[in-house]
Formats: sequence, structure tokens, C-alpha cells
Amino acid sequence: MNKFNYFKPSTLTEASEILRKYGENAHILNGGTDLVVRIREDLLNPEAVVDIKGIEELHHINYNEKEGLTVGACVSLSDMAHNEAVVKHFPVIADSAEVVGSGQIRNLATMVGNNCNASPLADTATPLLALDANLLVYSPEGNKKISIHDFFVGVRKTSLKTGEIVIAIRVPSYTSMKGVFKKASRRKDVDLSTVCTTVVRINNDEIRIALGAVAPTPIRAKKAEGFAKGKDLTDEVVHQIAKLAVEDATPIDDVRGSKEYRLHMVEVLVRRSLEELRY
Amino acid sequence: MKYQIIFTLNNEKVQHEVEANKTLLKMLREDFDLTGAKEGCGQGECGACTILVNGKPVNSCLMLAVEADGKEIVTIEGLSDGEKLDELQKTFITNGALQCGYCTPGMIMTAKGLLKENPTPTVDEVKVAMSGNLCRCTGYKRIIEAIMEVVENNKN
Ligand SMILES: Cc1cc2nc3c(=O)[nH]c(=O)nc-3n(C[C@H](O)[C@H](O)[C@H](O)COP(=O)(O)OP(=O)(O)OC[C@H]3O[C@@H](n4cnc5c(N)ncnc54)[C@H](O)[C@@H]3O)c2cc1C
Ligand code: FES
Ligand code: FES
Repeated sequence: MNKFNYFKPSTLTEASEILRKYGENAHILNGGTDLVVRIREDLLNPEAVVDIKGIEELHHINYNEKEGLTVGACVSLSDMAHNEAVVKHFPVIADSAEVVGSGQIRNLATMVGNNCNASPLADTATPLLALDANLLVYSPEGNKKISIHDFFVGVRKTSLKTGEIVIAIRVPSYTSMKGVFKKASRRKDVDLSTVCTTVVRINNDEIRIALGAVAPTPIRAKKAEGFAKGKDLTDEVVHQIAKLAVEDATPIDDVRGSKEYRLHMVEVLVRRSLEELRY
Repeated sequence: MKYQIIFTLNNEKVQHEVEANKTLLKMLREDFDLTGAKEGCGQGECGACTILVNGKPVNSCLMLAVEADGKEIVTIEGLSDGEKLDELQKTFITNGALQCGYCTPGMIMTAKGLLKENPTPTVDEVKVAMSGNLCRCTGYKRIIEAIMEVVENNKN
């Protein structure tokens, strides 16, 4: 690791000022499970590392029916996955968090970091896309809300500007929502997704499908969703939805799997999820 | 530039000066001579560097030393009470749960973290909790057995 300056501000204003001062040579340090690896491997050479864990308000997690679930930037994946409200109202988010890395990783890593890292395979991105989550963002010009649909711009690229910091992720509450997260990987534990999917059923008539690791960013399978609207999930319909879900995917070949394998797994995982959602 | 940090290390308050570009693992090994935690992969994959931070197992190769400020840290060296070994250390020995021993401190610290949270996990829960710790020698069977012996004792 090369030398860098370390800052641990206690307010967002202060953190943002340091980030703007150093521009692209500054990086936010949250759980560090992506950032520290990238610095250690010399993929990044920061001049300044801004540790945001000293900012008290980023450690909160809460739920109410009106606003939904709000997960602060520095809440660890394991604390979130075991949070009572998450387990009760958003088990699909807990399921996606529980397969990220190992227990040791989840004690450090955060959901906000997982999404800010903007990897196409980020496991927690798929439930957030399916549930129309928003990111609450500190900006020097005033706080703002960014829809998760406008957040991922490309591989490792988000729509955040210099000096902006994600405060929390907010997921709206649903009166009737059931979701299934699935992941295909080379080995069962501690592996990155070859493909991951989240399928949710809302009010028994709307199906939403989010796919990870099959495009430059996590995506929604819009064609399949349109076809599914209002339909009963008969065997025939389930098969057709799963087939259509493949059409929005544009995967590549890499060490984790071929393009063909990924396309096949999209169909399989979506079909299995829909079968579970029937009941 | 060096940064002042104050933290609790194996039940003792310590003050230290450290560079920002040093991992917590490296500081423990080089500055405090606590060489139990090992660097296997240096990227969060193998668990050989596992220690407890505020009671929870984490990969110390992925934390900066400066992040230890204000934290309570326990390494494998902090488990025994003088000559008196921790129960997991004893069952690892009696079950022959180690060969070269490189992975053992990490294995025991991960198991310790699990048993703190849940003193009576099932075998499957133990396997999931231990999935971030790799061992190239034992084949894992005896490691699981050693942990389950402590679990059985906890039930009585
Ligand atoms: C061994 C190992 C296994 C892994 N397995 C998986 C896996 O199975 N699935 C998976 O999806 N990921 C996996 N990961 C990746 C990683 O653990 C996750 O992406 C993690 O959730 C990142 O969160 P963090 O808090 O550690 O982020 P950090 O590393 O601290 O930050 C990640 C990025 O986000 C930025 N950032 C962080 N917080 C903010 C904020 N509040 N505002 C703006 N930008 C911010 C940082 O600057 C950095 O660029 C694995 C990593 C390791 C090392
Ligand atoms: S050395 Fe830290 S996980 Fe391998
Ligand atoms: S005993 Fe040799 S690596 Fe586990």
C-alpha cells in the first residue's frame, strides 16, 4: 500500500469538504471490503481516504410504514440481515445480504458500500432494484434522493458527483410483497455471483424481476415484467416469463461462467423463484 | 504521517502511533508481536487473519490499523488465561483439529465469535459460520467436531 492521508470526520459537511479538496484522489472508506482490497492490489492509489464511520447518523437503521425501511450507510450487512424489521418486512433483502462473502466480511461490509461499489454482480442490488429503492444523498448543494434506477451508470460507475455521500438507502413499504433472491456461484459459500436474481410479487398481480451479473449494471427484466402483469402464475405462464427474462440480459464470458451458461441460469433461477412465489 | 490511536488489546488499554497505509493485521504482528493471526491471502478469502473486533470476527487484513481506534480487540493470544487454555483451544487439541496449524488461530477466533452470539448452534450453522476459513490440511471434519464438542458442553 502506498502512503495516503487518513481522515475520520464526524460530520457530513466536513467529509464532503475533504472529498472535494482531493477530488478524484480521495476515496470514501466504509466497511473497506472492496476499497482496502483495491488499494492493497494497487488498483487504486488514493491521496486521501475518508473514513465515514465517525459520522454518527450513518449508523442508524429504522422502519416505519409511512417511509419504509431506512438503512444507514455504515450499518453492517450482518446487523442489517438480523434486524427485526428487515427480517419481518424485507426477508428478501436479508437473504441477499446473507450470501455476501463470509461472516467475517459481513461484519465489516455494508449494503451502501455494496451498491456504491457498483459492481454488476452486487448481491444486494437486485432486491433494491426490484423494490424501487432510493438513495438518500448528502450533496454540498443540498440533500437529494436518487432512484436506484438512476444510480448505476456502468461497471463501477454511479451517478454520484464529487463530494456527494450516500447517507442511507430507503426501501418503500408494501402492503403485500413476497420476494425470492437466488444466486448461482461456482461454490456454495464465499463466492461472487455468476448470476443473481430477485423476483418479487406485489399485491398478487405485479411481478418484478431484477438480474445481476448479466449486464454492465444490475438490471430489471422489463419485457418479462410487462408480460407477467395481471396473469395467473400457471406452469405455462411461469415458463414464458422465465424465457422472456433472458431477453434483457447481455452477459459476457468471464472466469465465473460463459455467456451461454449465464443466460441459461437466468431462465432457471427466475423460473424457480416464480414457482416459489405461487404459494 | 503517523496517527495516534487508543484501543483495548486483549483486555489492556493501549496507545499507539501508526501509519495510515498499514493493515490492522500487520500492526498486530509487527508492532505488538502478536503473530497468532496470519496472513494467508490478504484479500478476505481465507480467514487466517480473523480476530474479534467489538466481539465480532472480522478479517484483520481488510482493516486499516487506524480503524482500531476506540475498538476492543481480541486476538488468539487473548483467549487463554496464562497457562489455562480456552475451551476451544482444548478441544482443537484433543480432537486433532490441526496439522500445520496455520489456519488454527483464525478458525478458533471465528468459532469464538459464533459461540458468543449463539452458544448452541447446529452443525449446519457451524459450517456456515466457518465457511470463510480455509484449511489446506485437515479436511475440516475434525475442526467441526472440536467446535461441536464445546457446543455439547454448552448444552449441559
Ligand atoms: C472475500 C470477499 C468476498 C466477497 N463476496 C461478495 C459477494 O458474495 N457478493 C457481493 O455482492 N460482494 C462481495 N464482496 C464485495 C464486498 O464485500 C461488498 O461489495 C461490500 O458490501 C462493500 O461494502 P463496504 O462497506 O465494505 O464498502 P467499501 O469497500 O468501504 O466501499 C466500496 C465503494 O463504495 C464507496 N462508498 C462506500 N460508502 C459510500 C457512501 N456512503 N457514499 C458514497 N460512496 C461510498 C467507496 O468509496 C468504495 O468505492 C466480497 C468481498 C470480499 C473481500
Ligand atoms: S489473510 Fe485475511 S482473509 Fe486471508
Ligand atoms: S491445519 Fe494446515 S491449514 Fe489448517
